[in-house]
Amino acid sequence: MRKLRADVVVVGGGSTGVGVVRDAAMRGYKAILVDRADLAQGTSGRFHGLLHSGGRYVVSDPESATECAEENAIVTRIQPHAVETTGGLFVVTPHDDPAFGDQFLAGALKAKVPAREIDPALALAREPRLNPGILRAFEVEDGTVDGWQLVWSAAASAQAYGAEILSYHEVVAVERTGEAVTGVRCLNRKTGEDVTIECGFVLNCAGPWAGRIANAAGCQPVDVVPGRGIMVAMAHRLVNTVVNRCIYPADGDILVPIHTVCVIGTTDHPTTDPDHLEIPREEVQQMLDAGEELIPGFRDARAVHAWAGARPLIKDKHVAATDTRHMSRGMSVIDHRERDGLSGLLTIGGGKLTTYRLMAEHIVNAMEEQLGVSHPCRTADEICPGNVPGKTYLITDRLHEREEDRLSDQIICECELMSRSMFIDLLEKFPQASFDDLRRQLRVGMGPCQGGFCSSRIAGLTFEEGAVDIERATGLLRLFLENRWIGLWPILSGDQVRQAALDDWIIQGILDVDHLPHPAKEEI
Amino acid sequence: MARIVVIGAGFSGLAAALRLRQLNHEVTLVAKGVGGLQLSQGTVDILGYAPEWVQAPFKSFAAFIEANPDHPYATIGTQPVKRGLTWLSDLLPGLVVGDMEKNVCLPTPVGAMRPTALYQPSMASGVLTKGKSYAIVGFNQLKDFSPEFCAANLTRTPLPTGGSVTATAYRIDLEVAPGEADSSALRYARALDDRPEFRTRLADAVKTVIGPEDIVGLPACLGLDDPTIHIDLAQAIGRPVFEIPLLPPGVPGMRINEALMRALRKAGARLVLGSFITGFEASAGSIVSVTVQQAGHDRELPADIVVYAPGGFESGALTLDSAGKISERTFDLPLTGTNAADLVTGDYWHDQALFKVGVRTDSTMRALGPDGAPVYGNLYAVGSILSGATRWAEKSGEGIALGSAFAAVNAIGGGK
Repeated sequence: MRKLRADVVVVGGGSTGVGVVRDAAMRGYKAILVDRADLAQGTSGRFHGLLHSGGRYVVSDPESATECAEENAIVTRIQPHAVETTGGLFVVTPHDDPAFGDQFLAGALKAKVPAREIDPALALAREPRLNPGILRAFEVEDGTVDGWQLVWSAAASAQAYGAEILSYHEVVAVERTGEAVTGVRCLNRKTGEDVTIECGFVLNCAGPWAGRIANAAGCQPVDVVPGRGIMVAMAHRLVNTVVNRCIYPADGDILVPIHTVCVIGTTDHPTTDPDHLEIPREEVQQMLDAGEELIPGFRDARAVHAWAGARPLIKDKHVAATDTRHMSRGMSVIDHRERDGLSGLLTIGGGKLTTYRLMAEHIVNAMEEQLGVSHPCRTADEICPGNVPGKTYLITDRLHEREEDRLSDQIICECELMSRSMFIDLLEKFPQASFDDLRRQLRVGMGPCQGGFCSSRIAGLTFEEGAVDIERATGLLRLFLENRWIGLWPILSGDQVRQAALDDWIIQGILDVDHLPHPAKEEI
Repeated sequence: MARIVVIGAGFSGLAAALRLRQLNHEVTLVAKGVGGLQLSQGTVDILGYAPEWVQAPFKSFAAFIEANPDHPYATIGTQPVKRGLTWLSDLLPGLVVGDMEKNVCLPTPVGAMRPTALYQPSMASGVLTKGKSYAIVGFNQLKDFSPEFCAANLTRTPLPTGGSVTATAYRIDLEVAPGEADSSALRYARALDDRPEFRTRLADAVKTVIGPEDIVGLPACLGLDDPTIHIDLAQAIGRPVFEIPLLPPGVPGMRINEALMRALRKAGARLVLGSFITGFEASAGSIVSVTVQQAGHDRELPADIVVYAPGGFESGALTLDSAGKISERTFDLPLTGTNAADLVTGDYWHDQALFKVGVRTDSTMRALGPDGAPVYGNLYAVGSILSGATRWAEKSGEGIALGSAFAAVNAIGGGK
């Protein structure tokens, strides 16, 4: 049993949680973040990668649009490494109402979202694959953001301010004495150790899993309705700027170029279990049809992977909807003091990744109000560790790095240009990590081959480095392949089916991985 | 003498083309690129798993066919497979050895014990034998082979025939070019072919690091042109040496590919490489010509007989469009499945029914329509286009390729 002490425990290592732990630590609180899995393994890593300009909301939700425009600039400033300033377009396709463009422009002006109408010919010159029949085009300041990079660099900033980040720590109970929170009891899922953290405040940022944490505190059930959305990544950047359909927000209305792929999203269906999000065939078809309207020939491009994320929507009549001081748009806060007679616990739902920093500011303000103290929020002022001021991400960054070290290092993942030392360095920091944990930070196995070539190499490296024994190294290889398949089989077609067959020839045919001794089920 | 067009340059296409040429036909081989052999491990598998480990492939045939009535072997039967294997062994004695009646275990780079029947002489000492000790040596500059991972799994895995082996990992520094950190097996193979001093360097480095093990295993890179390098190394090191096939492109597979291509050229077949088939003409239930795209224009190749050996999904001969429709690319042949919707599941370790989809044939390898009659009287389908097998899981790819090629050749008969 390990005992820790903190002022505040943040539950959930997504963008909201790390934003909160960073903010709390910067205000001088001793803060600990716990997550039952790895950072950004849930919703924050399962979106399309859009850093909103606000354009998407200028008509449907102007206040949200303003927040997005402001936060876009802040995130680009404090975490440039996670952001690519691609710019964005809103286009009116031949299927859409051109008059919506006027509403769009008027809304943008009012919401202070920079937007400008351009000649459709100019839009086509910039993005030659766009539907040549587009009627109108507007340029906006959309960017793209790597949710994993964003979360990890915010976490690093929090750590620099003394916060502790405990991944793979699952909350078993929120301890209380009568009407006040006194601590959190966790299980270290890697070691099996019990970990108790004594604290006076718990901020429940568990997103779609927030209801479980409220249960663990003995509160009345919190009604979380995860909204499942699927995304499909195409193996190339069919566009280099974000392309939005200029319509009222709908399914499949956005195409986001991020890293080596472009992502079409998304759908929205209520679901019950955020641990098992399906990727239904008909929704994949719906996304491909939507892509076809933006980019003719989209269906013939190569879909490489699909995933589903869960929006953390809370439908609870106790949500302080009128208390706008402590709210960002789309965000909901439950103060369990009023609702369940338990002080020291706030549950947060909803929100957007783009405005994660602002949400965190509001949440920590709400905590301070309950504590009766006040410190200024400084999260917008300081650049996060690992970022060079003004140096935003470029798709050519890794190529540049590999050109520098091509004679001294090996390229382990050719698709994503991940070098041997990148892998070894991260493995040294996280010797117990699964290959998917490492993948989220390194992108190993995320390119067209989907692990066919690199997976056995990283299994070899992990074992050679002594991070794990051979049973575990073999198990990690198997687990990685199984997990890649989750996002592959729903979109298998075209060249990716050829790749899947080649990968089977490699993994089963040449390596015979399936006949290595293994337990019935691999641990995480 | 018939004008025969063979389409595809994988194992089945090359074998069919060469055998038909030996039988005095006028043979044109058309292929869009290098065939699948260069991607393979370079062994000749017949049947390795059914799904349990298979000790004697041909003795297991009857039961296997009974359990898998839609498998290509059910149509081909035993004899064409045996004839094909014998022909290949006689043709390439320097590249194919072993006993077709008996499977052996060869180590894979991850240390699995892979069943196969025939293998290359450079792999022979790697036939895993109870009680033996193996020095598994990797190169720091070759990322495709981790000797540690390989040796550790070999040591902890029981042999399918009982007993176990011990394997110990060693590493050496072996730069192909000064300062080169990221070399491929092919780079090593060429250096070993061309530079005698590089062989000496390899042997010396291995000798220095290994312990008292019985046998030395190296990554498969021991020469592309000269398949006897392993003998030189064994002499220099003083222990038997074998090689372990790696990720594609695989040096052992390329050796067989090059040997067959050489034989085909020498036998006087016409090769049309780098060319897609863009169309065909049929008349009275037979194909009369195929159209080949070559040097920017279409060219018609008259054909009395077409042997179709284009591969399966991996080569793009079988296609799956984004709406889930499965098709055959060149002749739009009827397939055993056309809708992928229920043929793929989320269970990675389970065989996917999709990959069993293909062309059904009669016992002479003529592609059949839904009515059970040949689609064209003179179109023979061979190799990975055939339905009913998961070759990579069964370890049956080369057996099906050779067997179907020989069944077709047998039906076509000799020229004059």
